[in-house]
Amino acid sequence: MANILALAAKELRAYFVSPIAYVLLVFFALLFGWFYVASVNVMVQLSMGQFGMGPQVVNINEFMIRPLFGNTAVILLFLLPMLTMRSFAEEKRSGTMELLLTSPLTDLQIILGKFFGALALYCLMLALTLLHVGLLFWYGEPEWGPVASGYLGLLLMGGAFISVGLAISSTTKNQIVAGVATFAVLLLFWIINWIGDASGTTSQAVLAYLSILEHFDDFSKGVIDTKHVTYYLSFIVVGLFLTAKSMDQERWNG
Amino acid sequence: MRVRARNGVRAVRGGERIVVEVQHVTKRYGSFTAVDDLSFEVEAGEILGFLGPNGAGKTTTMRILTGYLPATEGHARIAGFDVFDDPIEAKRRTGYLPETPPLYPEMTVAEYLHFVARINGIAAGDRTARVGAAMERTSVTDMAGRYCGTLSKGYRQRVGLAQALLHEPDVLILDEPTAGLDPRQIIETRRLITELAGDHTVILSTHILPEVSQTCQRVVIINRGRVVAVDSPDALTARLQGSQSLYLQVDGGGDDPVAALRGIAGVAGVAAADRRDGVSGFEIEIAPGHDVRREVARAVVTNGWGLLELRARQMSLEDIFLQLTTEEDGGEPDGAVPVGPPEEADAPDGGEADGADRIEAEERTDG
Repeated sequence: MANILALAAKELRAYFVSPIAYVLLVFFALLFGWFYVASVNVMVQLSMGQFGMGPQVVNINEFMIRPLFGNTAVILLFLLPMLTMRSFAEEKRSGTMELLLTSPLTDLQIILGKFFGALALYCLMLALTLLHVGLLFWYGEPEWGPVASGYLGLLLMGGAFISVGLAISSTTKNQIVAGVATFAVLLLFWIINWIGDASGTTSQAVLAYLSILEHFDDFSKGVIDTKHVTYYLSFIVVGLFLTAKSMDQERWNG
Repeated sequence: MRVRARNGVRAVRGGERIVVEVQHVTKRYGSFTAVDDLSFEVEAGEILGFLGPNGAGKTTTMRILTGYLPATEGHARIAGFDVFDDPIEAKRRTGYLPETPPLYPEMTVAEYLHFVARINGIAAGDRTARVGAAMERTSVTDMAGRYCGTLSKGYRQRVGLAQALLHEPDVLILDEPTAGLDPRQIIETRRLITELAGDHTVILSTHILPEVSQTCQRVVIINRGRVVAVDSPDALTARLQGSQSLYLQVDGGGDDPVAALRGIAGVAGVAAADRRDGVSGFEIEIAPGHDVRREVARAVVTNGWGLLELRARQMSLEDIFLQLTTEEDGGEPDGAVPVGPPEEADAPDGGEADGADRIEAEERTDG
């Protein structure tokens, strides 16, 4: 445990001495802020009855927070590959992997250290959005339940993205390759259900089930379904397992 | 043909503890064999030199010992712990300096060493003292606040060394610790390594020969993944004294001196080494057990040549190394510096084996 913590702290530190942490935080805040302002505008227009329905009380959760979470999920799809692309690739390129692998650390400790290091920075990114959401609570009266479940969903989904990124980063020495491949794989998991259909044939239902954003929807509605929690958790476990396999493979192949 | 060193079973020799055991280790990458049936042992406090040309399998062997790579076959133990079955315990007792010091460019030297201390399980309260001691020992204290990425090659190497000995390991494995250093740093590093022996067992690899004779008590020469010889540097030199040679330089000598010299009993071969301005140099190969210096001097006088130089050529470690590592190619005839016929490398060298490190040369025909 102490080792995992030491590694996670090192990872987090590395993010902040390189520009990666700042680039991610700034652009995430900018993009999130943009979507926030856009949805506030829609809200205002709706509540002032500009769509010909007359002034009305608009459900802030339904019309503001839920789309905002949905948009955030998409931003993360683009940004999180940048969070994980260097994790293993850079250590392998610079030779520091040799230090980690010859220190009294298990592969699992190294992987979890990197996972939690990346997750910690991701939590910081999410923490930035609390400011905006806090303003909604200040001026409006949203239900806190769906907000909390939305954050839980974002956390789980981000964890899944990170585990994919780690698995891919562990297969290459090149950060760019890792980043691009991670983005491509995540995108594939997003659009995979475009051919799938939950009520169609078995194979279509499987494809629909695999879609990474599909499972997020319920969270943003305020529903915490064990089915979705299980999906994300197993996604993370599979990602980390593949990372471990790839490290092992690397070791045997030299 | 190859020469293989065999160490008998000697778990405990003269009360000394065997700290590193390598038994029949083989490493293959696909069809390529990087390390082939390698076996050797290292005692506590010893400095073992790992010598071989580039690509001989030195780094691979070290990586197997440090648990970075698994061996395809065979076993390696550090302080009794198998590096494959018990990697954590083995790694706790090993300090490793890879060929490129594994530094994080974005960390300062002190931060880096603290991190290494932390992942090696050194208690928080002891870290500052340990890091300080390691920096002191490798003289990098002045650089404590510098970022690793901005250090010169010499300092990187030293910080790498500080990292390796930080947790006071039983065994220090250093992959070419002096590569890329300037002469003064090389001397300092060698002195440091010599100091470290005693408390630690040191295995260092190098392709620089003087390094071995200056720092190591025992040498393992490997070539193409195989052990070619295991012995002390002195014994290795002594072992090959059988193929001693003389260097003779004369001026004049209108008649062909080579033919005249060849006629002397005990001369195994003569080759012209250099010739300019009427001065000719010759390498005279002496058959084992003969001393032909007087006969050669007499021949010079009777033939009326002017004697400029006559000296015995001792085989340096360099010659031995070249001989041992190039032999396998079938000893390409190279007119300039003949180093004895290949067979002489493993000619019975009775009396030279010093009991402790018995060399058994066995001849093999390859291909």
